[in-house]
Amino acid sequence: MNRLFFPLLFVLALLASCSEAPKTEKAPQDAVEEEEITLYTHRHYDTDKAIIQKFTEETGIKVNVVKASADALMQKMESEGDQSPADLLITVDAGRLVRAKTKGLLQAAESEALMKMVPEHLRDTDNHWYGLTKRARVIVYDKEKVDPATLSTYENLVEPQWNGKILIRPSSNIYNQSMLASIIAHHGNEEAKTWAAGVLQNLARKPKGNDRDQVKAIMAGEGELAVINTYYLGKLLNSKDADEVKAGEAVAIFFPNQDDRGTHVNISGIGVAKYAPNKENAIRFIEYLLSKEVQETFAQTNYEYPVNPGANISELLQSWGTFKEDNLSLTKLGELNKDAVILFDEVAWDNGPTS
Amino acid sequence: MAIGFFMAIPLLAIVVYLFDGVGEMWSHISRHYLMSYCTNSLFLLLGTGTLCFLFGTSTAWIVSTYEFPFRKAISWLLFLPLAIPSYIVAYAYVGMLGNGGTLIGWMQGIGLPMERIDMMNIFGLIWVLSCSLYPYVYAGTRAMFSTLPRSLQEASALLGAGQRRYLFSVALPLVLPAIIGGLMLVFMEVLNDYGAAKYYGINTFTTGIFRSWTLLEDLQSAVYLSALLVIAVLLLNALARWQRGRKSFAAPNGALKPQSNRRKQLSGFQKFGCLLVVSIPLIFGFLLPVGQLLYWAVLTFDTMFNAELLTVTLQSFGVALGAGLLVVVVALGLIFFSRWNLLKPIRAFQRIAVVGYVIPGAIIGIGIIRSSQSIIQFFSDTLQLNIGFLFYSSSAVLIYAYVFRFLAVSYNPISANSLKLGKNLGESSYLLGIGKFKTMFQVELPLLRNTLIGAFLLVFIDVLKELPLTLILKPYKLNTLAVKAYEYADDERVPEAALPALTLIAVIVLLMAMVSLIDQKLEKKRT
Repeated sequence: MNRLFFPLLFVLALLASCSEAPKTEKAPQDAVEEEEITLYTHRHYDTDKAIIQKFTEETGIKVNVVKASADALMQKMESEGDQSPADLLITVDAGRLVRAKTKGLLQAAESEALMKMVPEHLRDTDNHWYGLTKRARVIVYDKEKVDPATLSTYENLVEPQWNGKILIRPSSNIYNQSMLASIIAHHGNEEAKTWAAGVLQNLARKPKGNDRDQVKAIMAGEGELAVINTYYLGKLLNSKDADEVKAGEAVAIFFPNQDDRGTHVNISGIGVAKYAPNKENAIRFIEYLLSKEVQETFAQTNYEYPVNPGANISELLQSWGTFKEDNLSLTKLGELNKDAVILFDEVAWDNGPTS
Repeated sequence: MAIGFFMAIPLLAIVVYLFDGVGEMWSHISRHYLMSYCTNSLFLLLGTGTLCFLFGTSTAWIVSTYEFPFRKAISWLLFLPLAIPSYIVAYAYVGMLGNGGTLIGWMQGIGLPMERIDMMNIFGLIWVLSCSLYPYVYAGTRAMFSTLPRSLQEASALLGAGQRRYLFSVALPLVLPAIIGGLMLVFMEVLNDYGAAKYYGINTFTTGIFRSWTLLEDLQSAVYLSALLVIAVLLLNALARWQRGRKSFAAPNGALKPQSNRRKQLSGFQKFGCLLVVSIPLIFGFLLPVGQLLYWAVLTFDTMFNAELLTVTLQSFGVALGAGLLVVVVALGLIFFSRWNLLKPIRAFQRIAVVGYVIPGAIIGIGIIRSSQSIIQFFSDTLQLNIGFLFYSSSAVLIYAYVFRFLAVSYNPISANSLKLGKNLGESSYLLGIGKFKTMFQVELPLLRNTLIGAFLLVFIDVLKELPLTLILKPYKLNTLAVKAYEYADDERVPEAALPALTLIAVIVLLMAMVSLIDQKLEKKRT
């Protein structure tokens, strides 16, 4: 008996691996009648899943979701060419959308409803993509040690009074790149480089960890200021881990540059794929995501700011106060993203302060 | 030949990129970060190599030579650190020892003041990676220690060598191929790690590849960097083979009686010492991180425990099982086929395919999409057949990708151990008029049993944990536990990632239990 065991196991294994594939292949063919769209997305929040489910319930359109990093998804679309099953691409920053447009991966999606729902600076000039949600990159400060009156602008962060007090994550993070890109857009390359080098020397420690870790480091006394995205604070405050809530409560938000251009914002956004097999339904999906109701869900459950001006923001977001946002065109930000990365490399950002 | 070629397709697709020359950002890359990334990676390799060697070989030796309480259970438990994706271990350590760390809080709670330990530096990274990767060394080495012929030990005892002398002059040199094979796997995993290094803010060669590709928008240079990495690994491989030289690791005829039933009994104090050594990697690689995950999982249990988790678990299990078995079969095919025919070109293909392990998964993904795309194109151009759906919505491509990626994991230990079998057994069997296949199934494979089981487990675990390929190649309906954990962790919701991660570990424990049960049954029948 045991002499037969291994040969049998191998035959079974072969059979299993061969038969598994065909079984799954047949399913989509039978279901060809059904209406469906395919979404490539970099967002993987529970909120999105619930929203997509609701869309299917309301319209009967099935949504196939492929979740991966925007770069991998764009590479996939590029390789797949005109046979790509993708209808839509969602990224978590405008830079990737600009790049997707330049690479010819997107197409114009004309819709009057969308024009009304999305402010001009938050969408592409040729309607290749639209913003979905806004994220503000703000300064949070230690409530006990920092007087908010001493805070003013991003530019102010290079002042000597902040020496050894600022916390921020590495330059590989897209939100940091986008912030530096906005500095480049407003002040030019040279000045932006001086700024980055100045902030770098004021850092409390080598850049590491994620946005949440910066807030926790404030609570632990490693620094007094951190540059983070607003919705991470929302998530800390609603965490199930008591220590995280405590860390979130130890800090307050300051919206920089209120007296001039406004606080830097980036978006997560969506565009219709160049070779979308179901363009009409794809646009319908975008319109759904930007509807007042869904926009309010984003704000309520994921603590992001809605793009649709008609949507109300959640109580928590209201408690942080309203703010003036930088109306810089996101296309510009996208175009400057690579320059920002190069600048970060040139000042050796990830090696931390030298002194 | 066909298998070898088939396996090399994605690599060829990548090689095609190389002919286009370096990208425009190359000078920026080499000026600003290439050197520092190289030194970081080198330091990481040295650090993790040393620690993994110490953890892996010491535990393998103790478990296979001595008898002490819980030996059997511990010998299985020692595999388990591999079950936790290393980036999760990285998060868990920061969750325990970082700002507001759980362990620190508890220690203070019971009146033991404990300082926060900063894990987020290169030493922390070495520690985390070693703790989660040493089982690669342990697995192959243990299999080899436990099949060392008893005659060797008896002979060295007769010649007056003590246990220590036997270990260092006889046993260790004999298991060297397995140790080196294991270390190669560790090195490749370290080179491939992205999540942990990124979180700790350490720039390594692989983070550099991603930076070139995604941030500097220069895929060309990224592929070049990967090629450099491949060359480095080939050099390492060549070094390993050079070390092995022309030595034969085959045991003389009739000496293949395994020593498994005769383990040395120990005194109480020695038992304690053994347990202590074995428990270090067990505690730091498994118990502590799992403890932290459990704490998180309890916090998030209400939201995370649902029917979906169950289906995802089943799907992960099925895919990993299928891919794991297939990988072992392909590895065996490559080894035995080249052995039977003494073919040279096969060897080249073998090496190419084995290299799949070191290229970052995301880059392999590109290669695979590219090559499958040209197949789709071919069909639609020449036969007007639209077969795209075959690739987009089936697991076939994904499983192929796994085989390509993880061939090395099973190939290395199996080939190291089949070296030890030598040709004598097979040849005597052929002389007796028994065919090649029959010999393989009845003589050689049963002797390789421990190795095969070990190799299968490693691949199974690796597939379960695999991320970049799964993300980009998986069909829509399929979801895996690793992907689920990643989705939360990427969103900085690490506590929510804990339950899927723990389920992943549970699946692996379950499979190990099954394998060990089958193993015991087989053993009983044999005796």
